[in-house]
Amino acid sequence: MVDPMPPQRPAILIENLTKRYGSGPTAVDALKGVDMQIFPGEVVGLIGPSGSGKTTLLKCLGAVIEPTSGRFTLAGDVIYDNAWKRKDLRALRRDRIGFVFQAPYLIPFLNATDNVALLPMLAGVDNAVARKTAVDMLTALDVQHRAHARVSELSGGEQQRVAIARALANKPPIILADEPTAPLDSERALGVVRILHRLAHEFQTAIIVVTHDEKIIPTFKRIYQIRDGRTYEEAGEGREV
Amino acid sequence: MINLAGRDVGNHLGRYVLTGVGLGLLIGVTLTMAGVYRGMVDDAKVLLRAVHADVWVVQQDTLGPFAEPSSLQDDVYRSLLGLPGVAEAGNVAYLTMQVKHDGKDMRVMIAGYTPGSLGGPAFLVAGRPIAQSHYEAVADVKTGLAVGDRIRIRRHEFAVVGLTRRMVSSGGDPMVFIPLKDAQEAQFLKDNESIVNDRQRLAVNPAVNRPGQPGVLQAVEAIQTASHRVNAVLVRVREGFDARQVADHIQRWKHLTAYTTSDMEDVLVAKLIATAAKQIALFLVILAIVSAAIVAFIIYTMTMGKIKEIAVLKLIGTRDRTIAAMILQEALGLGVIGFFVGKFAATLWVPVFPKHVLLETTDAVAAFAITLVICSLASVLAIRAALNIDPAEAISG
Repeated sequence: MVDPMPPQRPAILIENLTKRYGSGPTAVDALKGVDMQIFPGEVVGLIGPSGSGKTTLLKCLGAVIEPTSGRFTLAGDVIYDNAWKRKDLRALRRDRIGFVFQAPYLIPFLNATDNVALLPMLAGVDNAVARKTAVDMLTALDVQHRAHARVSELSGGEQQRVAIARALANKPPIILADEPTAPLDSERALGVVRILHRLAHEFQTAIIVVTHDEKIIPTFKRIYQIRDGRTYEEAGEGREV
Repeated sequence: MINLAGRDVGNHLGRYVLTGVGLGLLIGVTLTMAGVYRGMVDDAKVLLRAVHADVWVVQQDTLGPFAEPSSLQDDVYRSLLGLPGVAEAGNVAYLTMQVKHDGKDMRVMIAGYTPGSLGGPAFLVAGRPIAQSHYEAVADVKTGLAVGDRIRIRRHEFAVVGLTRRMVSSGGDPMVFIPLKDAQEAQFLKDNESIVNDRQRLAVNPAVNRPGQPGVLQAVEAIQTASHRVNAVLVRVREGFDARQVADHIQRWKHLTAYTTSDMEDVLVAKLIATAAKQIALFLVILAIVSAAIVAFIIYTMTMGKIKEIAVLKLIGTRDRTIAAMILQEALGLGVIGFFVGKFAATLWVPVFPKHVLLETTDAVAAFAITLVICSLASVLAIRAALNIDPAEAISG
């Protein structure tokens, strides 16, 4: 039984989203009509076998590729509506979408603080303010003591937390996390999920976690299964971590 | 905003600086080649400036005495002295040859002049000027000779009585100044066998050895063995007269060709070293292209090594111009390091070159500007590649 939706505007609203690669007889329909809605403060799991369309959906939600049809609304703003799309997708990604990847993909030539501060700086925030924000985020993720460490000096878990801090730096309404616990052991993986749940609640950010990790799937209250390009909503266990 | 280029360079500073040093050595070669050209031009002009002549009088319709052979009678200068505007005139004879010192050969340019007249060394750095009519010499320090040394020019020994500096031929050979008569003799002197052979030929020639007229043969022999020819006459113009007008006047009335010093410089630069200059220019162009290719390759490789980072930067909303600026700044940084290393290297190794290499400040400034332009152009390929990186590459799948 799926929990009733909170009475608020969804952070992500996807209606009948499709994505077709190629054309003619060789065309591949990666998404065949995805529907999804996620509310602020929710952490939702997106699971499915390889080739089911998870990455394509993530790229559409990340405004990296354009869907073929359907409608994508982000915190009330329409991003795609069939052939129409919002113009400045780069600024949209910078200001309103946070990304956490399987590997942290921190910029190796910046230290932890600057990796996080880069986002607000790109958005035009004053350097001092951006660095203050970065330190606050690192503190929220309990890695403030590594603020001046170079990326190569951080452990895998620390790197992932810095990456999460970066995703949160501009306080986006959504975060897309692609296999964020894949390289981590069970304890650290659960630690990362705990952080995601806490931050989602604290910053009222909607977080979609793409994962295969059996250890963390029970922590989601809602799960979207994706099979053959279609999503199926399921209730999760919502286990405390 | 964080300076991404500065941070990236700082992250692998050693490799970056070493790359810049490698590029710098190439730029050093380029600067040296430009210096070789400048040195050639300077060598060509230095003699013209040093002798303080306003007009060079040479054989009619020739570019002599350096670009073409020129031969004048050695009494022409007397008639020139009678022309309006001519303050002083002096004969000169030039010949490039091997001279012997301590049993070793050295290649020099012999300059014969009348001591006390035009055509001698501009200044001395040691010793004294030539004071005797024969067998004294003033040598450029580049010959390695010292005052008191003795050199052999053809049959005669000369004592080095003075040393001068920066007196070289357009080919870069150091000059040795000797009295005009000795130079004329050295220029036209034949070996003994040749003289004997010529005498025998004349003796059996009925046109010059007629019976009952022995004086004709002797007169012809005397003419053949004596030399009264010089390569040019140098003229100094009287104050208040224009060198161009005097040169035109000489040309009109004396059936000779007269060049002002400025004309002579043009002859030397445009004619004598033109081919060598083209050769060097082509080499410089090739070096510039090679440098550009190397910078382009290095910057492209550096950029391709950061595909994932650039994809992440693009994904998180970094503007194209920020990424382009990062790559451009890194390329320019390489150029700046390369230029200063190249300038330093060129300054270090130039004194070792046997010929004069002149590193001009203006050339260095131009080279710096060209280096920056080349680096900017070379970064275009990498910038294009970076801007084509799909931000989706940051997302697995």
